[in-house]
Amino acid sequence: MSKWQSAQLTSIVVLLAVFSLTTRVVIAQSSDVPRAFDGHPDLNGVWQAIGTAHWDIQDHPASAGPPDMGAIGAIPPGQGVVVGNVIPYRPEALEQKQQNFENRWTDDPELKCFMPGVPRATYLPYPFRIIQGDRKIMLVYGFAEANRTVHMDKDNPEPPPLDTWMGRSHGSWDGDTLVIDAVGFNGESWLDRAGNFASNGLHVVERYTPMGANVLMYEATIEDPNVFTEPWTMRMPLYRRLEENAQVLEYKCVEFTEDLLYGHLRREPTR
Amino acid sequence: MTLTRIGLAFVVAAVLSTGVGAADYHHVHLTTSNATEAIGWYTRYLDCEPLTDRDDGVECGGAQVVFDSRPTLGSSQRTGIDHISFSYADLMAKMAELEAVGVGGSGVRLQRFPDGSTLRDIPGLFKVGFIFDPWGTRIELVEDDQTIGFHHIHLNASDPAATLAWYQESFGGESASLRNRIDGVRMGDIWLLAMPYEDGVPAATAGRAIDHIAFSVTDMDSAVSGLRSRDAEILEEPMVPSGGRTAARRAFIGGPDNVSLAVVEAGFAGVDAEIEVPVDITTELQPYTVPRTPWGTPDFQGVWTGDAAHGIPLQRPEDMTDLSSLTAEEAAARRERGTLGSIWGYESEWRDTTLGYVKSTPSRQVAMVIDPQDGRLPPMTAEAQARTANRVDTSGVRRIAEGPEDLSPWVRCITRSLVPTPGVYNNGMQIVQGPGHVALQREMIHETRVIPTDSSPHVGSDITSWLGDARGYWDGDTLVVEIRNFNGQVPYQGSSDNLTMTERYTRTGPDTLEYQFMLNDPTVWTRPWTGMFTFVRDETQYELVEYACHEGNYGMTNILSGARAREADEGR
Repeated sequence: MSKWQSAQLTSIVVLLAVFSLTTRVVIAQSSDVPRAFDGHPDLNGVWQAIGTAHWDIQDHPASAGPPDMGAIGAIPPGQGVVVGNVIPYRPEALEQKQQNFENRWTDDPELKCFMPGVPRATYLPYPFRIIQGDRKIMLVYGFAEANRTVHMDKDNPEPPPLDTWMGRSHGSWDGDTLVIDAVGFNGESWLDRAGNFASNGLHVVERYTPMGANVLMYEATIEDPNVFTEPWTMRMPLYRRLEENAQVLEYKCVEFTEDLLYGHLRREPTR
Repeated sequence: MTLTRIGLAFVVAAVLSTGVGAADYHHVHLTTSNATEAIGWYTRYLDCEPLTDRDDGVECGGAQVVFDSRPTLGSSQRTGIDHISFSYADLMAKMAELEAVGVGGSGVRLQRFPDGSTLRDIPGLFKVGFIFDPWGTRIELVEDDQTIGFHHIHLNASDPAATLAWYQESFGGESASLRNRIDGVRMGDIWLLAMPYEDGVPAATAGRAIDHIAFSVTDMDSAVSGLRSRDAEILEEPMVPSGGRTAARRAFIGGPDNVSLAVVEAGFAGVDAEIEVPVDITTELQPYTVPRTPWGTPDFQGVWTGDAAHGIPLQRPEDMTDLSSLTAEEAAARRERGTLGSIWGYESEWRDTTLGYVKSTPSRQVAMVIDPQDGRLPPMTAEAQARTANRVDTSGVRRIAEGPEDLSPWVRCITRSLVPTPGVYNNGMQIVQGPGHVALQREMIHETRVIPTDSSPHVGSDITSWLGDARGYWDGDTLVVEIRNFNGQVPYQGSSDNLTMTERYTRTGPDTLEYQFMLNDPTVWTRPWTGMFTFVRDETQYELVEYACHEGNYGMTNILSGARAREADEGR
């Protein structure tokens, strides 16, 4: 190889490196990624987020939880998953968020075992399973029996028949990235235990990008003109649960909320 | 697939005095989902009698009511014909009788007044009350000692005076005032009344529970030309209808306020319903090769429903000794009874299994139990028999829930049942497969069971759960699912936490999925037993839509607050 050729190659490599810094996610060597029958990444398995996004998707210091719960109920500090850490709330929506925060120990839908919505279901502290077939992908979450059917087989996205907690999801592949477009939400869900929220105008675009066999980079772009002045993004890795025989176990949390929800209506009231 | 069409028409048998238009009030035509069931209901509860010359109607105190079987589009309320009315000599006794019937079974739905009463005595008039038939026809019951029997038809009208005048000009009758309080047109013994409708234009009657009123005329051609001259819309020109039982002609007219009216010649006796029985795909099986997924397992993916199996009893009824299948008619009637048996407060169009909505033919299976072969559960163990014998008989005792735990797991939105026995709604099951796993999602309570088929072992026996721990494997074309680790909190037919279950799913045709469930509980039964029913693919009808049960469980709040109110009333 001549000196001239070598210099040229170096400049090309440098150029590529600069380019990759501007892309959103650094893609791992694709040969590490297990492949499905159709050549797409095989996402089948049990996955889980690790971190404190379920407490607060933004940067937050440690703080007290319910007093009786001591250190078990306390909120550990955490680095946020919101890209840039700022959520561009409209002023009145920010007030609502603050109000949600004040009332979080009574109003959070998670307390009541309500379905968590999207993207909150992804980073609750429970595993979820991806079942990836040839027509649909199903996401089965470990909380509140929540699940989603991702339609991979619709040429044109169909409008959601009605608003729901988990919305309606259409999926497609962008290279090795599974892209899920989700709309049709009922606006009842929160985004975390700190009262971040969206309305029924929510539109989520999720990107699941394999970074090797056991990690997915998860990115959710949140758009909701009722609540936010512009779209914003959260990003975090999802890790494969590597335990032998890892399962998403049945967790019917309804019975553990009945006293909270109906205790005042018992013959002997407990609340 | 052709829908079974059934309808209801209502015919005045008495020869009415001829009026200006030389017309007699002929019948009211009600839409029900099954004429046989409707005849039974009107005979049982409103003292009507089956017509002797045709099999689709009843005679009710001077009027004929004819039933047309087809999908109903909803209650008569808020249409141009709000309700029909029957008069009883002792309304209080009649109401007490109907209230005792209740909504259970093919029951009676009472429309209570805001104070909770079922009867109101209107000064200067008489006592009145309202009920609904199971198909959505609103019925006013009155105590008018001057007219016992069929009493009146009450229209919703944008302009009541003009509407009554139009009917009188078109069909005769006399202008009169009911007890000098309500203006109407009297046709023989029957009143035609009109009340102001103040919420826009009443909805069209066609297809709703009261489909139309019919008048008979002696001269069809002059009657229709007279209507035409009054700018009435002729919806169907006079003709002998397809399937007409006689040579008498019928025309359809659009009356005021979106009311459909039939005009018929003397001798008109309705039409033979075109009941086309769809091919029963559950029994007419062809040799079939089960499709495979790209990774080589049988492919069960899609949306299936248990609607076809709705109404099959778990066990063979003891009075049925013939284990061969029902006839198609018997099967349709059985499912209709099952649907009516769950009317609660739901309109018929809300129920997936109402005839005419459901696209699958009712199953003709006599019972779900296929093993033992006599269709009955095996004997219980001595231990289980003793427990049953010692149980306090609480039947007939009205239990008041002290808290949520006293209600069923279904009411609590936790789980429906270990076996997805089809009910009147939410019988869907979506199957999604990936290599090594099959996801079975039940529409009711959006429960999703993910079944590993990758030879992984069961979880430890300390991990019990409501639906148990399931592991699957492929036995040829059959998915076999073995389930254990039940927490015992949702017993099926008295099962204990010693239960294990084996499910077998087999595609038996392009659109049929046979589901077998074997229960093995040596604590309760002397031998394992197996039930079976068939899911039918129905992706054209719907996809599963999230059934957020717990999130909107107002029923729980209402049941418990009602229980507390009842206790307060009773001074406890």
